[in-house]
Amino acid sequence: MQSRSVYKVPQGKLLKISLEYDTTNNVITNIQITGDFFAYPEEAIELMEIQLKNTTLEPEQLQKKISSIIAEYHIEFIGLTAEGLTHGILMCRS
Amino acid sequence: MSEQWRLLQTGYSTAFENMAVDRAILVANSRGAIPPTVRFYGWSPPAISIGYFQSIADEIDLNACDDLGVDYVRRITGGGAVFHEDELTYSIVVPESHPKIPKNIMKSYGRICGAVMNGLRQLGIDSNYAPINDIVSRGQKISGNAQTRKCNTVLQHGTVLMDVDVDKMFLVLKVPNEKIKDKLIADVKQRVTSIQRILGTEVSFGQVARAMKRGFEEEFQVELIDGTLSLEERSLAKQFEKECFSRKEWNHKR
Repeated sequence: MQSRSVYKVPQGKLLKISLEYDTTNNVITNIQITGDFFAYPEEAIELMEIQLKNTTLEPEQLQKKISSIIAEYHIEFIGLTAEGLTHGILMCRS
Repeated sequence: MSEQWRLLQTGYSTAFENMAVDRAILVANSRGAIPPTVRFYGWSPPAISIGYFQSIADEIDLNACDDLGVDYVRRITGGGAVFHEDELTYSIVVPESHPKIPKNIMKSYGRICGAVMNGLRQLGIDSNYAPINDIVSRGQKISGNAQTRKCNTVLQHGTVLMDVDVDKMFLVLKVPNEKIKDKLIADVKQRVTSIQRILGTEVSFGQVARAMKRGFEEEFQVELIDGTLSLEERSLAKQFEKECFSRKEWNHKR
């Protein structure tokens, strides 16, 4: 299943998600995270997209996975948050 | 004697060249090869630059750009889509460890925007820093800025709008909803301004550059000395233009 979302992060920037997921088990198969936010280092977004594959589209699991990726790669977001990213991704679920 | 930084005035160049030069200065400074550098430049032909994280198809009407002779390029910095025409663009490259640059990224945005605001004040324009990365005058945006940090070096670049043609901007920028395009254009016209709009008179690039030079000197208490790109920077810029910024793989990467 392919789906898109556009989410204005509160007090932040615009986040646009393009998602492919398996509807049988609600697992992310492909994701593209775009928008006018800032992230440091910038290349971490590509890492985030790779690492989020095979993550279940369930709020707690997804947020936990996103937070652990942020911690592992020492990612700093400006205009985006882990909560905002979780929310934007979950908005893609039908 | 105050610290001396380099001032580069590289004139009008293409989108690919401009981004390649900013990146070359970043790399050269990270190698300790050149001092902290402030650069002023313009865009010819007019161009759109998009943020590193933006989807090009979402932001730019590529056919319209081709029809109108507007270039486009992906930046190495995040942030939004920017239409570059009647503006002075600045960039500043300085080591992350420099005592005048806050370690905290948000604070450093404020500090560097402070230099631009000082420059606007030299022109008789009052403005405020609007976090994260905007400068506004009378509540309207007059400058947008974007920063990256690579190899322990800060690169921030931004626009100082001399004049703004919102109608032309929306010939080449995509809108989220075509049905409300007119309303969106009217909305943006209310929310952006320019030096010429505020002063009610035309200003030249040179006037703005002189004001911005004083602004950066005062904000950072440095002396900006006119310089040129080094041989190394010229070579790096050519390489980055060829291998990165002019490539479809780069500009269309997302």
